[in-house]
Amino acid sequence: MDSRASEKQSEDLEIFSAENLQSNMKSIYYSRTFLSIVGGVVAGIWGFTGLMGFVFYFLVMAIASLGLAAKAKFSVRAYFDSWNRIVVDGFLGGLMSYVLFWTFAYDIVHIF
Amino acid sequence: MAEDLVLDTAIRDWVLIPLSVVMVLIGVLRYFVSKLMRSSQLPDAKALKEGQVIIRARNLKSGANFIPSKSFRARRVYFTNEENGLLHVPKEQAQNAQAQMFSDPNMAMDMMKKNLSMLIPQSLTFAWVNFFFSGFVAAKIPFPLTQRFRAMLQNGIDLSSVDVSYVSSRSWYFLNLFGLRGFFSLILGEENAMDDTQRMMQMGGFGFDASRSLAAEKDSLDIIQHDWALPKIEHRAEQVLRKLLR
Repeated sequence: MDSRASEKQSEDLEIFSAENLQSNMKSIYYSRTFLSIVGGVVAGIWGFTGLMGFVFYFLVMAIASLGLAAKAKFSVRAYFDSWNRIVVDGFLGGLMSYVLFWTFAYDIVHIF
Repeated sequence: MAEDLVLDTAIRDWVLIPLSVVMVLIGVLRYFVSKLMRSSQLPDAKALKEGQVIIRARNLKSGANFIPSKSFRARRVYFTNEENGLLHVPKEQAQNAQAQMFSDPNMAMDMMKKNLSMLIPQSLTFAWVNFFFSGFVAAKIPFPLTQRFRAMLQNGIDLSSVDVSYVSSRSWYFLNLFGLRGFFSLILGEENAMDDTQRMMQMGGFGFDASRSLAAEKDSLDIIQHDWALPKIEHRAEQVLRKLLR
């Protein structure tokens, strides 16, 4: 996520470089997907069931948001067009992958 | 009954893992096949020209505030002019284009090929799963579900007292279907993942009808109010240069 997406001129006029913005969004998507998969495996191995598992998913997503915000040096305007992109976007996208790998790991470790 | 069933290790070895592996492999195979089949497609000159016109109109739209208003208006008239503006398509032509689109053999073949390449592996795999892997408990999902899901998830299992968490392999198939999308997008590079559900949603709005998108661009250009965004550009340039000189 190293491409600056916007330039701020001194009179509050911001222009965004569309392709940098898109590449930043893609890297967020990849990070979230990867973290969902890893989080799913971890949840399965630890034996989370039911509500705890979903709470863990949201915890992992929150840590991901925090990490992404830290990587953007907390100056969201430089890399994205709004806070929503880092924090909210793609929250539920990784849920299916999480559940799949959670089920997989849980079964392998605890049931079989 | 909330007792924990202990399932045979053989189920894990011969059902869960092979099913996932097969689905991953089929996804990869489908990706490569679609890449191979897509390469023989000559672009249509007229459609290409229209696409480029649309791109130019969009660039004008996005950069509208950075050019003086007179030049913006001149450009806008060039695009939306009633007589020979680039975006203006007379009505009969619009309908013709759509009819042509539908009867165009190339386009239809392409759509069908894409459809088939989606449906066939999925239905084959589903039939395979049903044939070989039905009638036993395959996995336990770690979260509880209500009784209504029992019919959906426990298809081959005829005991009604088994916890709903213990599911048949058909539901493992569906879980894999949805969950491997993210995985595919990671290993197959951008956007070529198994986005079959997205494509199924796209099938509703069939066809690249250029006439409709031209009309849409024309309308959106007409709406724009020009707001000159660089009013003090000379002052700002002066400040920047002064800073540089210091």
